[in-house]
Amino acid sequence: MRFWCGLAAVACLLALAPTGLPPYAMTLLTEALILGLCAMSLDLMVGYTRLLSFGHAAAYGLGAYTCGNLLLHTTIPLVFAVPIAAAFSGIVAIGVAWVCTLASGVSFSMLTLAFAQLLYAVAFKWTPVTGASDGLAGIPRSPGPFGITVFAGKSGFYYFVLFWLFGAFVFCRALVRSPFGAVLRGIRENEAKTLSLGYNTRRYKIAVVAISFGLGGLAGALYAPFAGFANTELLFWLFSGQVLIMVIVGGAGTLIGPIIGAAFFMLVSNLLSSWTDSWALFFGLIFILFVLFAPQGIWGLVTRVFTSEPSIARRGRWRSLNWTG
Amino acid sequence: MARAIATPFTRRTVMRVGLAAVAAPTVLRHARGETPIRIGMPLALTGPAAEIGQQMRHGAEFWAKQVNAKGGLLGRQIELRVEDTTGDPATCVRKAQLVVERDDCHLLFGMVLSSEALAVVPKLAEWNAIFMSSDNGDGRLTGSSFVPNFFRANISGPMETRVISLWLRRGEMQNFYAIGMDYAWGHNSIDVFQDEVKKAKKNFVGVVFSPIGTKDFSTYITKIRQAGADACFIVMQGADNNAFLSQAREYRLADKVQLLTSIVDLNSIHAVGDAALGLVGSTRYVFTIDNPANKAFVEAWRKEYDAEPDVFEGEQWQACQLLQAGIEKANSIDTDKLRAALETVAMDSIKGHVAIRACDHQAVQGGYMVKVVKPEGSKTPVPEIIATYPGDEVTPACRQMTFDS
Amino acid sequence: MDFVGFLITQCLNALSQAALLFFLGVGLTLIFGIMRIVNFAHGAFFMLGAYVGYSAVNIVGNFWAALIIAPLLVGAFGAIFELGILRRLYRRDHSAFLMVTFGLTLIMGEAIRLIWGVNALEVPAPSALSGIVFILDEPFPIYRLFLAGAGIVVAIAMWQFLERTRLGLLIRATSQNAEMVHALGTDVRLVRSAVFGIGCGLAGIGGVLAAPLVTASLAMAPNAVIDTFVIVIIGGMGSFLGSAIGALLVAFVQVFGTYYFPDLALALMYLVMLTVLVVRPGGLLGKES
Repeated sequence: MRFWCGLAAVACLLALAPTGLPPYAMTLLTEALILGLCAMSLDLMVGYTRLLSFGHAAAYGLGAYTCGNLLLHTTIPLVFAVPIAAAFSGIVAIGVAWVCTLASGVSFSMLTLAFAQLLYAVAFKWTPVTGASDGLAGIPRSPGPFGITVFAGKSGFYYFVLFWLFGAFVFCRALVRSPFGAVLRGIRENEAKTLSLGYNTRRYKIAVVAISFGLGGLAGALYAPFAGFANTELLFWLFSGQVLIMVIVGGAGTLIGPIIGAAFFMLVSNLLSSWTDSWALFFGLIFILFVLFAPQGIWGLVTRVFTSEPSIARRGRWRSLNWTG
Repeated sequence: MARAIATPFTRRTVMRVGLAAVAAPTVLRHARGETPIRIGMPLALTGPAAEIGQQMRHGAEFWAKQVNAKGGLLGRQIELRVEDTTGDPATCVRKAQLVVERDDCHLLFGMVLSSEALAVVPKLAEWNAIFMSSDNGDGRLTGSSFVPNFFRANISGPMETRVISLWLRRGEMQNFYAIGMDYAWGHNSIDVFQDEVKKAKKNFVGVVFSPIGTKDFSTYITKIRQAGADACFIVMQGADNNAFLSQAREYRLADKVQLLTSIVDLNSIHAVGDAALGLVGSTRYVFTIDNPANKAFVEAWRKEYDAEPDVFEGEQWQACQLLQAGIEKANSIDTDKLRAALETVAMDSIKGHVAIRACDHQAVQGGYMVKVVKPEGSKTPVPEIIATYPGDEVTPACRQMTFDS
Repeated sequence: MDFVGFLITQCLNALSQAALLFFLGVGLTLIFGIMRIVNFAHGAFFMLGAYVGYSAVNIVGNFWAALIIAPLLVGAFGAIFELGILRRLYRRDHSAFLMVTFGLTLIMGEAIRLIWGVNALEVPAPSALSGIVFILDEPFPIYRLFLAGAGIVVAIAMWQFLERTRLGLLIRATSQNAEMVHALGTDVRLVRSAVFGIGCGLAGIGGVLAAPLVTASLAMAPNAVIDTFVIVIIGGMGSFLGSAIGALLVAFVQVFGTYYFPDLALALMYLVMLTVLVVRPGGLLGKES
């Protein structure tokens, strides 16, 4: 009950944002929410199943390019193009996941990296579809159905993003609290045991990767009409690393944490880079300080300060994320 | 993270505090009471394109300083809002939008990479902003991707390639090979070159593209050697260019094949040293251009920075001069009036006579061929002008990327 | 150029490329094998080696001195970083190392930009190595022969170090069972610091040797990181021999693949990586299955 009240409160606040914030802040906020969605989707893999992926840029880029192509070359309205692109990413991910889950641990992570870089290389050369190194520009926010153009405007698009983010969040939360989610956590804690209990862990892993990619693709599909363009940098491994950092900085395994992590990452990098040329120096320092002093991430700090959870239960929840040796 | 927290430290507080911090500079500026002319300049200041970004920034800052010292433009001080894009188009769009929305800039400079410019250009109308490019070479910006708020002060990729091809027609070389970086600029320039070679009734024997970030060019050098060409046209810049030139010298490639390049800049010459000797190429700007405007510019630059102005510093200066001429002609920075004024701007710039044409906003200007030599008593190689071509021969027809004859 | 001459020169090209890749890869695989750290900052250490080498050449005037000074300094810096920061993180989640080394990359990149500037810097090879030899009428740079030779020398030296010296023995033992080594009385923490320092030092040597070929520039780090990962993954994380084989495989595929299929140049490395991982998920000689 407390959760739904909190969620409603945050929803109201974010819904009011366009009335209170100046336009450039709204631009940053919209992009932060899109990145938040991407980070949250990665958390399903990283935080709940301990599948560390270095290739999430592939989901984002795939969603962005698919949606971009749909909006540029067909008359499919924005409201349909976005979920279509997301679904496409999810379906492609099934194949990728099938190969990647042949391995586990570090090898799994490296396979995700290999796939993502391969996709990058392909996109770089496939000029007719991806525009190669220039990417797709001038992506419109196509109107419809019934001639609805409200999403083309700044506030309208913001609410569109907000709708998808909240929808995805509610869906993910339900997922992780369901029996499916329990199995994921079982895989995270001890895959061998879960396997011995009779679960086909590989199928569960493929499923979570597909869902994660689908939602990451959703974020990319929202980005393309937001920025009006898509290009190969969205597929580059550096972006994958940044999303992973957002998850960890925000707090892995919490769904909310990564969203905050993404907002934090964007806000801080923008503020820092406007303030000094040497922003990368301070940015790197911030990460190192986080690791040393706030290992559970931002959300971990928040819950530590405000929750009434007894400390033993809290410690138990986090220990599960540690590897020894 | 130790703070005495009196209020709930929730997500929205983080947002509010952060956004207030972002808003603060605007509040402070308005408190001063004057209305400066703000020009947004999203630039690659870090990352692989940083060398060029820093040059462009120097050029613009130098110009702003000079103009402000004389009382400003239209009586108003010029204020540059420089932001780091790291050479990434997504960040560039974000930063450009930031300077437009937060700092109220409706004039834009910068954007080092053509990919950055191509991403931003579709939004210029929505932002009611004019962008004066000083560096973007991609032919499409005045062709298929043209928008009315875009102006190009610099030599484009097709133009610099044309200069080389005009020079080739005079000479005896018959067979040409080409190597370029595998992205838009590389492909665009080599396409134009291939077309030009055909028109000159010479032979184009082959081309190879190297991925961005190639560190070892030994295979590519082998291919160039094997092609049996008289000359090889090189379309490379930055770290790739330096690596290629250093390694070409390792293999004594220049003994067998004349190296023609589409960019000759001082940074690169300093980085590769003697490996640059004998390089012949088209240059967008060189400090040895002999006209009164350039001599004055170079002297003033030397006094300020104790160095010669490099390619992009000169190009940026010319872009600033053109924008200034437009603003003075329109007597306003209103977008529509400025656009109309810029379309008829012409002046004697540091590169000779320059005139912006109305049909595609390209600044029609001449081109220079240089050869890198080491004069007596000099420690470092210098580019020496060996040929000059007038603007109307070098600039393609309106909205075109290729030439008719 | 006849076919035999072509074949020989291309093989030599591949060997010299493999040497540079090996310097990068062996450091990373050592670090991963002993400490299970995925060192994101490895490319930054490579780049630091080139820049420190540049300064050393300018101050001391001698390339050979730079070749010794630079890796020592870079290795020392690495060891200090391990002592100061990484040492606190061994009990923690491995994502901690990811974040910390990512942060270190950012810091090092910016620090180098502040100290040495944005422009690429020339590091000339020593005049003794600047000439060419003729292999079946084709000119081939002596410097590349030197590189290939240096790679072989260092590979043999490392192998002997691991097999014959006490520290080498401790390193190998720690990679298999750190607790037992600790129980037998050795301070494992010192072994770890030494390994991190050696790994970074090797990257540093790679940087100095690469500098005459590519000039010291800020683009070195990002370009090197992904290459290093690919080699180590193909060869097997934690396997010394694997990094040598990975380097050779990638170099030969790059050289001949780029010659015959230049369009695939960007994708080649990743295709090889994918193929190897699907067939042997731990890498060719890796320990994981």
